Amino acid sequence: MEELILQLKQEIIRVLNLEDVTPAGIADSAPLFGEGLGLDSIDALELIVLMEKRYGIKLKDPAQGREIFTSIRVMAEYIHANRTK
Amino acid sequence: MSTTNDIYILAAKQISVQPPLTDEWLDDPLRYAAPYARAIDPDYRQHFAPNVARRLGKILKRALLTSRQVAAATGVTNPDAIITGTGLGCIENTEIFLNALVREGEELLTPTYFMQSTHNTISSLIAIDAGCRGYNSTYVHKGASFECALADAFAQLESRRIQTALVGAHDEMTPGYFTLLTRTGYLGRAAAGFSGEVALSMMLAAARRENALCRLRGVEMTYRPDSNALRQALLRLLQRAQCTLNDVDAVMTGVSGQQVNDQLYASVCTALFPRKPLLRYKHLFGEAYTASGLGVYAAAVCLSRQRIPAHLFAEHRRGEQRGVGHILFYSHAEGKNHSFILLSPCGK
Repeated sequence: MEELILQLKQEIIRVLNLEDVTPAGIADSAPLFGEGLGLDSIDALELIVLMEKRYGIKLKDPAQGREIFTSIRVMAEYIHANRTK
Repeated sequence: MSTTNDIYILAAKQISVQPPLTDEWLDDPLRYAAPYARAIDPDYRQHFAPNVARRLGKILKRALLTSRQVAAATGVTNPDAIITGTGLGCIENTEIFLNALVREGEELLTPTYFMQSTHNTISSLIAIDAGCRGYNSTYVHKGASFECALADAFAQLESRRIQTALVGAHDEMTPGYFTLLTRTGYLGRAAAGFSGEVALSMMLAAARRENALCRLRGVEMTYRPDSNALRQALLRLLQRAQCTLNDVDAVMTGVSGQQVNDQLYASVCTALFPRKPLLRYKHLFGEAYTASGLGVYAAAVCLSRQRIPAHLFAEHRRGEQRGVGHILFYSHAEGKNHSFILLSPCGK
């Protein structure tokens, strides 16, 4: 799980072009939206694409994203349980 | 009290292959031997918060920063109009988006690059950044894009529909697009000049302000004219500005080193203004669809400083000229769209 969390942080930094942010600077349990990284709805779309492209997870209901993208740890746990690649 | 022809360029800022956001090119220009050069970007981290900068492609950062700087320099933070000329728009993001479209089989496309792949992203983003809800327009017309934007601004300022206008010329050149233009023979040939990038923002106003660069006396455009129609277009411009050709001190042209382009300039200049000193700017700034914006900017700076450096003269034997009256800007886009722009010092 720790390896997946690190990989996920690196992917998010790359996809969202988070300059000056390092994996160590993202707390595993910090909120991704609003506080924490301060992501917004466009970032949510980017993360949905990332989930499908990188891990083969297709989110059919956008409302699911609200729960899955709570934090890096929650996201990693969902990916771990549902990934197809 | 202002007259109908009292229109001023208050300030202009550029990011190009010359040192950014300065007029250093006037005294100490950078020279390029390679056929392709990209703009020199300032350190954007000093100007944009990381969460803002991360979504912006290069052309958007350049457009926003030059716009902010002319707004700050003039105090016109909410212009009545934002008008942009761009030949290629956000081509870098467009390429990324289209390449992903092909690679992913038209699926799994990310939204950010899509949002920034349209030409009018530039004007609209400037408006959002400035909180400007006024007239907002983008002209995409290859080599005449900037002239169209300037003509629109001039017409609205002249009719007093608006009092201020932020006019931009913005184009980036990607390695991929440069390769395509090289294959067509348009760029990349030996001794044919070089390809550059343009980010120019200038603030226009219908009233003079302190430290204005120059007056914009008129813009005249014509499409596929014969020699008589071209002459008539020039005369219309001069008459409206209550000038004659004798008043013009120098003619700024878009000679670039590209043979077909330069031959047309030579024939028009010989026919219309045979004894006028000819100026150039593409040897410093490079070729681009909206390079003419930098030509107008260069002429405006010369008028403001009241001197034309020797390196701007097409004829190498000329030294620096002190004291400058009217500068006529002439450009053609592939021999089809011809434009005349007349600039004068603020006092004239």
